[in-house]
Amino acid sequence: MNDFAELENELRKLRPALPFPILFERVEQALGDCRAGASPAEERRSLVRRWGGLEAAPPWSLFGLGLAAAAVLVLFAVARIDWQHERRETIAKTSSAYETTPVLGGSQNPIVSGKFIPAGATHVVYHARDEGLYFADGSERPVRRVRYQTQQTWQWRNPTTGASLRVSYPTEDVVLIPVSGQ
Amino acid sequence: MRTWRRLEVKDREEVMENIASHEDWKSCFSELAPGLLLFARQWVHSAADAEDIVQEAFVKFWRRNHNIDNRPLLYAAVRSIALDFVRRAARRARREAAVFAETESAADPQFELDDDTQSALAAAVDSLPCDQREVLVLKIWSELTFNEIARALGISQNTAASRYRYALSNLKKTLQPQ
Repeated sequence: MNDFAELENELRKLRPALPFPILFERVEQALGDCRAGASPAEERRSLVRRWGGLEAAPPWSLFGLGLAAAAVLVLFAVARIDWQHERRETIAKTSSAYETTPVLGGSQNPIVSGKFIPAGATHVVYHARDEGLYFADGSERPVRRVRYQTQQTWQWRNPTTGASLRVSYPTEDVVLIPVSGQ
Repeated sequence: MRTWRRLEVKDREEVMENIASHEDWKSCFSELAPGLLLFARQWVHSAADAEDIVQEAFVKFWRRNHNIDNRPLLYAAVRSIALDFVRRAARRARREAAVFAETESAADPQFELDDDTQSALAAAVDSLPCDQREVLVLKIWSELTFNEIARALGISQNTAASRYRYALSNLKKTLQPQ
């Protein structure tokens, strides 16, 4: 059937040249830069699009959900920053012998012996579920309970050796949003 | 008709599994890189230029989170970037066809050659017209199907198959003892 089978076999014996190892490092570097530059929202959208986890929702509800989620995330971020600030102050007070350094305090801050520097952090919300209204104990005002499932990734890099360290873990947060009735 | 649905809790494991695989670009790249480099070498002279093109295409492809199984799209990206690269390099090039014709004789796929027979075979591949050579490279060394080749090159499946047959036929003629 195939007059060229022998020729095809000979061609397959020709081996394309392998890439230089430096190419892998360059691609890794470029991908790292991309991740550090991408916003969590972009990452979330891209993750969802890539694997089809959230195929779609009606556009109008998606728009409303997006606005609500953005507002919640801002509140959540502010609350978290305050909480972390208080926590750092507590640590500083209780451990006077050592100076604590924020994990991602800035690109200039070394982590260990000036070797590793923070290279990026992402917080991807891949699922948000509105669990409805909820009355907290002793409260007459309802709150809306929203549960977020996220993936947090922290990355450090040693500019001298090119070594990198990445920690990634799933988290689940429940946010209570006061509902104002009329 | 597209159906709309929200992500359910039961999908969580699947999503987490995919997040893990998202990090595994190295295994994908090490598998695909030799074929991608060889394909890029259809348009550029040096291995370094080919590596630049492959890097740009792969990073762009990965960054946009395309499915890694969509190989035609990846090869199409390499081709597009390679042609842009050649256009930039050739200042006077006005059309893609002109660029194609200019580079046709200069493109030289790079192989690891063991003996004279393989050298002759590689030289014969180099002498093929560019449109036949790119189909041959995708079919033999990247193991794409004719359907995938057609999608990567923006041609019909029949055209891809006939170019492949012409390429083999021309190779056979070239390699026949005089």
